Amino acid sequence: MENLIVLSEADNVGNAIEDIEKNEVVSFSVNGQKHEFTAKERIPFGFKIAIKDIKKGEPIIKYHEIIGKASRDIDLGHLVHVHNVEGCRGRGDINN
Amino acid sequence: MKILGYKRPDNKIGIRNYLLILPVTRGSHILASKIAENVTNCKTFILGDEDGRDSDDRNTISRVLIGLGLNPNVGAVLLVCNKKNAGYDELLPSYIESEIAKSGKKVYLLDIEEQNGFYQALGQGIRIARRMAREISDIQRTDVDFGKLTIGVKCGLSDATSGISGNPTVGYMLDALIDQGGTAFFSETTEVIGAEEIVAKRCRNDEVKQKFLECVYRTENEAKSTGEDIRTINPIPANIEAGITTLEEKSLGAIAKAGTRPINGVLRYAERPKESGLYFVDSWMSSTSLFIGYAAAGANMVIFQMGGGALPVDPPMPSVSTGLIAPILYTTGNPKTYKRAGDEIDFNCGTIIEKKETISQAGERLIQHIQKVASGMYTKMETWNYQDPIEVFLKGPKL
Repeated sequence: MENLIVLSEADNVGNAIEDIEKNEVVSFSVNGQKHEFTAKERIPFGFKIAIKDIKKGEPIIKYHEIIGKASRDIDLGHLVHVHNVEGCRGRGDINN
Repeated sequence: MKILGYKRPDNKIGIRNYLLILPVTRGSHILASKIAENVTNCKTFILGDEDGRDSDDRNTISRVLIGLGLNPNVGAVLLVCNKKNAGYDELLPSYIESEIAKSGKKVYLLDIEEQNGFYQALGQGIRIARRMAREISDIQRTDVDFGKLTIGVKCGLSDATSGISGNPTVGYMLDALIDQGGTAFFSETTEVIGAEEIVAKRCRNDEVKQKFLECVYRTENEAKSTGEDIRTINPIPANIEAGITTLEEKSLGAIAKAGTRPINGVLRYAERPKESGLYFVDSWMSSTSLFIGYAAAGANMVIFQMGGGALPVDPPMPSVSTGLIAPILYTTGNPKTYKRAGDEIDFNCGTIIEKKETISQAGERLIQHIQKVASGMYTKMETWNYQDPIEVFLKGPKL
């Protein structure tokens, strides 16, 4: 059974719908195409995992929209969360 | 699509049939409470914080009192006051009475001075309230259109399921309601920050769009002026613990509950819309305040969509009865939350992330569930004999 939901084909992250352990196979479908890769670290239920390599400064895309920027390089299979993502809004010290 | 509802003289449709006992001035709080304690099927509302208010806040209080009286879930209204022609214009008991009476429903204004004091007023108030309770109990439910309903939505304890399953299911239902001529409210200005450009594109015209963006920018500036980095408010720590990373992600997930239809207008807190459709309400996000604002704007019921990934087993819900006359229906898109809180949450669409149902299948099931509640079935919160404290959204300063 698939353990990841990816909401649009433009997205570079997906949401775990069960706890995914390190080295476990991650599988999801988008637009009827099945994809698989290996988790490089533990991804708890509801958390996001990179489904592509994302370079520092590149947008994090979910819902076909930008939800933030990578604050460091994030490789395929790694957890995507506050330790490697910056929001773009509501901060005086960051200009859009 | 039909429900069994109460048709009111102004052609609005109620899904409950309460007698509302409303104190208009602070001195009459105790009288309203003591009458309500003794009479079946009534609701009362004590606004504890009404003195020393500026004209904006007094107008808000006025809108809340009149709006609650006009709400079609109310069959009749007993207003209680010290002196019916004393006070600020917008809070004159006789003015509140005449505004509610425009709906054609029965309103009685009990004036303590006219009754020669509190003790006589208490006896007479109980007598009148009992008569009114019996009279409205004779109003029958009849077949009416689902599209006559007004529903307010809010989400809370957001987690990754909020934006994937829970909120999109509520959004599906709201789209169906709007398509059938219904009215819906969504709000939480702080939570739109981050996705305001996307929401603004859905406004019906430039005027609505401008009004909407003004609300967002004003709220963002208010947050900044307190020295708060809004990111430390939203996503709140509980959201981050549940996997939501940024304000934008939370906002996009949050607005999914408002569906996809055009935004017909922007309303102030407790402002009644002039026509049907989807409305953004500029309000404080807390359910202690938002739901009574929705009720005063005409909502029949409110939906509280929970993520709840971090909830313990058998948790008490954040609001039981803050809609006062508008029941709260809880939904979740997180199967773990439903497992832990199944006695509190009315509707589970965690089935979507379990791949047992699609969003549209869950949305159809939610519509059927709402038809039942609108026709008289209790929500789980309605089975509590408990009145939450309620706070009207007043901006201050207190003077």
